Amino acid sequence: MQLKETDLELIASVLKGNTAVYTELVKRHQRFVFTLALRFAKNREDAEEIAQDCFVKAYRALGTFKQGSKFTTWLYTITYTTAMTFLRKKRLQTDSLDNDENTIQLENQISDYNANGIEKTSAHVFLYQAIGQLSPDDATIITLFYKGEQSLEEIAQTLNMEASTIKVKLHRARTRLKEKLQHLLKDEVKELI
Amino acid sequence: MKTIEEEIWAYIDDACTPAERLEIEAKIASDPEYHSVHAELMQVHQMISGQELDEPSMSFTRNVMEQVKLEIPPVALQTKVDNRIIYSIAAFFVLSILAVFVYAIANSNLTMSQFKLPAMNLDLALSPETTSFSIKAFLFVDLALALVYFDSFLRKKLSSK
Repeated sequence: MQLKETDLELIASVLKGNTAVYTELVKRHQRFVFTLALRFAKNREDAEEIAQDCFVKAYRALGTFKQGSKFTTWLYTITYTTAMTFLRKKRLQTDSLDNDENTIQLENQISDYNANGIEKTSAHVFLYQAIGQLSPDDATIITLFYKGEQSLEEIAQTLNMEASTIKVKLHRARTRLKEKLQHLLKDEVKELI
Repeated sequence: MKTIEEEIWAYIDDACTPAERLEIEAKIASDPEYHSVHAELMQVHQMISGQELDEPSMSFTRNVMEQVKLEIPPVALQTKVDNRIIYSIAAFFVLSILAVFVYAIANSNLTMSQFKLPAMNLDLALSPETTSFSIKAFLFVDLALALVYFDSFLRKKLSSK
């Protein structure tokens, strides 16, 4: 049985000239980078553009990557800065998902999960709506903490903030998310009645 | 002062000491308020933990690799310095200094009987204007280097905190 190569081994291979190996790195991290990009862009087309841009930027700068550090933290830093630059350029409204365009995009995302059963899809609908209503920073911190396997210190490094600030922000983000979920669930109950 | 929510989140994230953990556990078991907040936050926690990552389009990897092919292949910027090169440079300078020193001694009129310092010809025949300018330039470069060094020292100290 062949052992799976680590990120650092793949990077070393790319730097030695075996550039085709970069495909494996892209495949391995594309879902998370895309999800992070989606927290900023709010639509799939823009998120794909950001995510692709990230991987190309990472490839260009691969020679400067410090072998002792974690590749994902470095990659997420690139994703965060690229997404922030994108936001500034597009001047997106980030604090509300009440407009029609965003609702359509959310429905598109949720439809991907229909095959997994009604109950699961319903939970995803509310979670996606609630996360979508958070600011990009709050949504990013929650995503990095829960799905990115990142410690508070690593998130702080990615977002260029202090670990203590991230701790406070994470607490506030979860509180806001809980409130949004409660609000959405309350509306759902009203609709059922 | 921590709020109940902060305490419970620390408990859920396993970010508290064993003593604090036991204390919170006891409160959850005995205090109805703690119990309800814990149940509420656990629900949110499980919901977030269960979220799935989004999948980009099927052509995503191919699109990235097509763009990557147009780029110059990356190379490691951190090259390993061979110690032999460093030692060779050091040996060259040490030998040069020794050679100049031996030459100066050999051309001096050193006499051991009178215990006088050798009279070395160190007159470089520089004009006073040139000397003054050289000293000022030398001091200026020294000052600039000292400031650069001091700045990097402060930066390192700041980043290590």
